[in-house]
Amino acid sequence: MSSRRGGSKKNNRDKAFFDYSMLFIVIFLLCFGLVTLYSVSSYEAMLDFGEPGYYFRKQAQATLFGIIMMFVVMFLDYHIWQKLAIPAYGVSVALILLVLTPLGYEVNGARRWLNVGISLQPAEVAKVGMIIFFAAYVCKMGKNIQTLKGVIRTLLLGVPISVLVLTITDNLSTAIIIFGIIFMMVFVATPNYKEYFLLGAGGIGVASVFVLLVKKGVLTSEQSYRFGRIEAWLNPEAYAGTTGFQTLQALYAIGSGEIFGKGLGQSMQKLGFVPEAQNDMVFSIICEELGLFGAGAVLLMFLLLIWRFLVVANNAVDMYGALLVVGVMAHISLQVILNVAVVTNMIPNTGITLPFISYGGSAVVFLLIEIGLVFSVARRIRLRNSGD
Amino acid sequence: MQKKLTVLFLLIVVAFGALSVKLYAINRDNGEEYKKQVLSQQEYDSKALPAKRGEILDCNGTKIAVSQKVYNVCIDAKTLNGKEGQFIDPTLDALYDSDIEFSYTREDLKKYITGNPTSQYRIIAKKQPYDAVSGLMDKLNNRAQNPNIKGVWLENTYQRTYPYGSLACDVIGFVQGDNEGAYGLEEFYNSTLNGIPGREYGYLNDDENLERTIKPADNGKTLITSLDVNIQSIVEKHILAFNKEHENEYREGNGSKNTAVIIMKPDSGEILAMASYPVFDLNDPRNTDGLTVVVDEEEYSTQGVVNISGEVGDRESGEEEEGAKAPAEGDENPTEVDISVDEEEAPEGESVTAPAGTRKNASAGPGEPGEPGEEEALEPEPEPSGPKTYEEAYEEARMEALNALWKNFCINQTYEPGSTYKPFTMAAGLEEGILTGNESFNCQGVKEVGGHQIHCNNRLGHGILDFSGALEQSCNVAFMDIGAKMGKTIFMKYNRLYNFGLKTNIDLTGEAMTNSLVFDPETMVPSDLAISSFGQGFNVTMIQMVTGFCSLINGGYYYQPHVVTRIVNDDGATIKTIEPRVLKQTISEETSAKIVELCNNVVSKGTGKSARPAGYRIGGKTGTAEKYPRKRGNYVVSFMGFAPADDPQIVIYTVIDEPNVPSQASARYATILTKDILTEVLPYMHVFMTEELSEEEKAALSEAQLTFAQSSDESLSENAIVSGNAVEEGQTSENTGGVDDSVITFEEEEQKEEKEVVLDPETGYPIDPVTGALLDPETGQPMDANISDLE
Repeated sequence: MSSRRGGSKKNNRDKAFFDYSMLFIVIFLLCFGLVTLYSVSSYEAMLDFGEPGYYFRKQAQATLFGIIMMFVVMFLDYHIWQKLAIPAYGVSVALILLVLTPLGYEVNGARRWLNVGISLQPAEVAKVGMIIFFAAYVCKMGKNIQTLKGVIRTLLLGVPISVLVLTITDNLSTAIIIFGIIFMMVFVATPNYKEYFLLGAGGIGVASVFVLLVKKGVLTSEQSYRFGRIEAWLNPEAYAGTTGFQTLQALYAIGSGEIFGKGLGQSMQKLGFVPEAQNDMVFSIICEELGLFGAGAVLLMFLLLIWRFLVVANNAVDMYGALLVVGVMAHISLQVILNVAVVTNMIPNTGITLPFISYGGSAVVFLLIEIGLVFSVARRIRLRNSGD
Repeated sequence: MQKKLTVLFLLIVVAFGALSVKLYAINRDNGEEYKKQVLSQQEYDSKALPAKRGEILDCNGTKIAVSQKVYNVCIDAKTLNGKEGQFIDPTLDALYDSDIEFSYTREDLKKYITGNPTSQYRIIAKKQPYDAVSGLMDKLNNRAQNPNIKGVWLENTYQRTYPYGSLACDVIGFVQGDNEGAYGLEEFYNSTLNGIPGREYGYLNDDENLERTIKPADNGKTLITSLDVNIQSIVEKHILAFNKEHENEYREGNGSKNTAVIIMKPDSGEILAMASYPVFDLNDPRNTDGLTVVVDEEEYSTQGVVNISGEVGDRESGEEEEGAKAPAEGDENPTEVDISVDEEEAPEGESVTAPAGTRKNASAGPGEPGEPGEEEALEPEPEPSGPKTYEEAYEEARMEALNALWKNFCINQTYEPGSTYKPFTMAAGLEEGILTGNESFNCQGVKEVGGHQIHCNNRLGHGILDFSGALEQSCNVAFMDIGAKMGKTIFMKYNRLYNFGLKTNIDLTGEAMTNSLVFDPETMVPSDLAISSFGQGFNVTMIQMVTGFCSLINGGYYYQPHVVTRIVNDDGATIKTIEPRVLKQTISEETSAKIVELCNNVVSKGTGKSARPAGYRIGGKTGTAEKYPRKRGNYVVSFMGFAPADDPQIVIYTVIDEPNVPSQASARYATILTKDILTEVLPYMHVFMTEELSEEEKAALSEAQLTFAQSSDESLSENAIVSGNAVEEGQTSENTGGVDDSVITFEEEEQKEEKEVVLDPETGYPIDPVTGALLDPETGQPMDANISDLE
């Protein structure tokens, strides 16, 4: 682990901590993401916009802006967010409600975006907002969080925002992720296990009931497109022409990659076969072009990043900082796991993007803001000078 | 808390591990299958890039047939249905905002798109011009501004159009299906015109990467023809006027069964105009609106065996004589053909093409009766199996009518030439020294050959005729004498030398084979020779006649007739020039000069007077051939002429098959038509008038010049005026031949004297004033001894 003298105000004998490993991993993922995005999207961009670098250019702009934001957040004292916890919740809710106003607009049939000079996805704001709010809330609860009542109260506070995301923006996956972040933060903050496993088991049980009902044909795609996606998940070949098409094509991409893949830029499936390859399905093209080796390397980079979060959280100077890092860690790990699970057809198809790599301006900017928060927490860590 | 964090991290590691295992499992279990699947999904299919079909130009560069780039609009319903169907409405907006003519309404198309979510290729508008699709094209080229227009694209193709519609339809031919020429130049030069389509195709390279390659199309070559659109138009205008004038005159139907004209350059074999009637619109060759389709009731079931639908039964119970007519709303459309499937009215093809073969001593006649055209019907009829329904019989009759319509009479139809063959006989005699030009003939109206009484056109006899007079008066007896003097060997030698029985190999599809329709010298009997000498008994095509005649008057050079003079490529560079090609020398220059002189006499003194256009001297020969079967009053009347008389620049051959008049046996119909055509064509060709105009001619010309600029209806009256003029000159006119048949107008009618014939009170048949024998009221031949009975 590298340790350097940071730009600390205090003339402390302990060296300020700066996590260069994490910075390297983030920069690597960003660069890898842009290269992959260009490879995956240039064909579709050429067809749709007559400009192969269309998605790449927009993503690069967002990434640049995100890096600036990351450094701004990094150098701010993260404790100001603790004071802004309630406004953060309020802003998140307000932005989601704004989608209902004329400021909101549709992309690909879903009304999930706001046009406020730049386009913005309120759900991405909400993720950061919830991390900030619940870190502060859990801190404020103090010992109360350790009671069952406290846990339930905390989780219940996460319900309204999840429901808003689910109903207003019709976005189940983001609702699950937001609730998952809160769930993980509370899980870490409390010593017990039993309740969480029960809750987790309950959630899986409810999901299983739905799956069973779909399987029995009680619930069909006519009632909700989500049931249709479950049908396609259970038997993608049977729905190869319709709902199962994307999943199946992604599986073809993964399966045809072999160990080392076809080579960067050599994907055949990106040529119009995997729909929206630059969004949710980008990982399948990575598998096709770079093979199991490349896919493994990407997963390893994410795991390393999460490990760095673990280290920062463990060494955070206070509870609030640690919980912020846990929130970010929960967010990124959940998205990676769910995204890869969708691509490999382990769970039904939901629109979850792969952090840093999938196309999406709002997503990458707010992800980098979260990374900035983690850096901000990390900067407070004081290392004992071993020579002292 | 650190402990819980570690637990969370471990859980995450486990999840990552599970994902990695799944990734590996997919590759291990389905890797090969998915790999093949990916390869199989690629588009290796090669796509043809259409080549532009070459154009057809006339000698002045006027475009007669062109290929225009047009666009098919195609949709991919699968793409349109993507993203919950959000592309459908914006795309339909863009489509229906344009000027494109769709085969569907917007609602139907939307229904189709949503109802067929897996369809990826559907043409929704065919052959749209650039103007109609340019708006859509702009939108498609600007995807960034129109992100929701998807699943639509344009395909290039070419549309064959004929700016002059029906002009020269038989010569040009049309294009069907996938650039396949049908009939005429389009078929004959199909491979030249077609070009080579390009190809776009995909293949996997060494690294299993898909590569696509484009081999551009090689556009077709353009034909420059010797046709002249102006001359062709003049010819067709007068053919139409003639047929309009005589429409429904004697029987229901067109003014003639067929009227055809060829104008040719005698010193190169180039065709300036070639037209026949009826015509069809090249842009819509399958239009049967103007076509009368007659279905024979015998042809389809009346027993109710296949009467499934009540409609069929109703129609049959009607027992209409005529069958049903095609919807004939376009009455102005000159295209009207009567095709009867009835056995009793023997189809024209059989009666005309095999006259000799069906005679009693078939062994002596030329071979088997053969169907002339070697081409086959475009849409072969299915083998008749059991009784046909009315619809099938109707469709069959319709196709038969269309196929007949599409054929080029000038090269495809065979007939007996009649007296226009006489110059050929005369030239052979002169060339062989058998004739000196000083002979005289004594015609008593009949000559006995091989025990048969063969009559002259003038049954009373021409009396003593000199050499030129024999041709001027078109005396059959004189020519039978010439034939007998020559003998069958020499006669047939020249018959073959003039290329009869052989193809001229003109560069048009569908030239008839006539080898079985001429006499075989081995088996020819004297009566065969006798009737052959005046052009009966064997069959020819128009192109054979006109090409042979060119050699008679151009110094004896037999040129291969041709329509195309030059072939140029897409860039306008000449690929091939088709020079006039002398195939053989038929007669000497001296004989040729003599024939020119004799033919000039025919027009100046003899039967061809009415063919002379005012202000010009021309030469020529009339012909009136009785059709087979004889005695039905059906004739082919014709005129073969050249102009100007001293220095022939064009040869014109006019043939009218069964003019729709009470008495057909008058070459006047052909000579008047020829005169009308030449009156306009010669000034157009800058041939100066050499003769003084009489007052009547001046009046007629100035009248005609007024009417030339007016509609074709007006030109009909012009025609009438000219005919009236001719009557005043003391020549016979058709109005002397009454419908009641009490007055017979004989073959070669343009003689000073008319034959008023006394009718037999018992039979109503006319009586020959010399012999007292009963005459056939239609042919004027004696009832007991006519050609068909004799042999």
